Amino acid sequence: MSLLYSLARLLDRISPAPIAYAHCDIPCGIYDPHHSQLAAHTVVRMNDLINQLEKPGTSATPEQRQEYTNKLARYLATKEQHAEMAKNEIRILWGDYFKPEHLKTFPELHDLVWKALKTASKARQEINLQAAEDLLKATNDIASIFWKTKGFETITAKAPYPTERQTVYPKYK
Amino acid sequence: MIHSVTFPLRRFRVEDDSMRPTLAPGDYVVVNRWAYRLRRPAAGDVVVVRDPEAPERFLVKRIFDVNRSRIEVVGDNEGRSRDSRTFGPIPLEEVIGKVWIRLRR
Repeated sequence: MSLLYSLARLLDRISPAPIAYAHCDIPCGIYDPHHSQLAAHTVVRMNDLINQLEKPGTSATPEQRQEYTNKLARYLATKEQHAEMAKNEIRILWGDYFKPEHLKTFPELHDLVWKALKTASKARQEINLQAAEDLLKATNDIASIFWKTKGFETITAKAPYPTERQTVYPKYK
Repeated sequence: MIHSVTFPLRRFRVEDDSMRPTLAPGDYVVVNRWAYRLRRPAAGDVVVVRDPEAPERFLVKRIFDVNRSRIEVVGDNEGRSRDSRTFGPIPLEEVIGKVWIRLRR
């Protein structure tokens, strides 16, 4: 490793250099909105679990408080992670999959994605079931457009998870 | 910030494989943003451009053709590169600058 390279790396720690992608994206052409929907379901579920969690009262023992804190911390960590996953998956669809001709057919796409990302941030920052529901709805709307661009019809059905929210699925031929 | 708006040099860190063997993931490049103020881009130059399919992202590629106001770029690792062969030519305004120095890992 050269001295200059080490210097550049040090500089990178102080102020990170932006990334220039020698992008390969082979292009593999493998995209699916399901990951974003799944992540949104997890965010909804974490909100449900947090809301069901009994808060320790004034008479709670240190052990009860500790247990409460442990559970809450785990739910919050998972909520954070999956809200971020949802954002990442939406960005991949937006940046890599959707093409200008899709936008001509679905001019609402940019606005939809923009709002979805904002909602995901809100769902990440707050304990907010409504934001989580909105995020799930946004991922469903994006999925619905995605499957139309692929030439599939969609159905909306109750998800087979504890969240049981309405979810958009493709009707495979 | 270390760079002011007018400072000509800008660092980038390389990611992904499409410029192998010239550039490998983890390499740094220093880009001269004033390189094309006096001369025009030329085939063979390695440049950093805005990704036409995701404007917040930058790509590093090699110019293989220049016409009036647009350039076409390809990756050196042609079998593994998303470039002008898929997204077409890039307007000159989208060119950030020419790679001046590369620091190999």
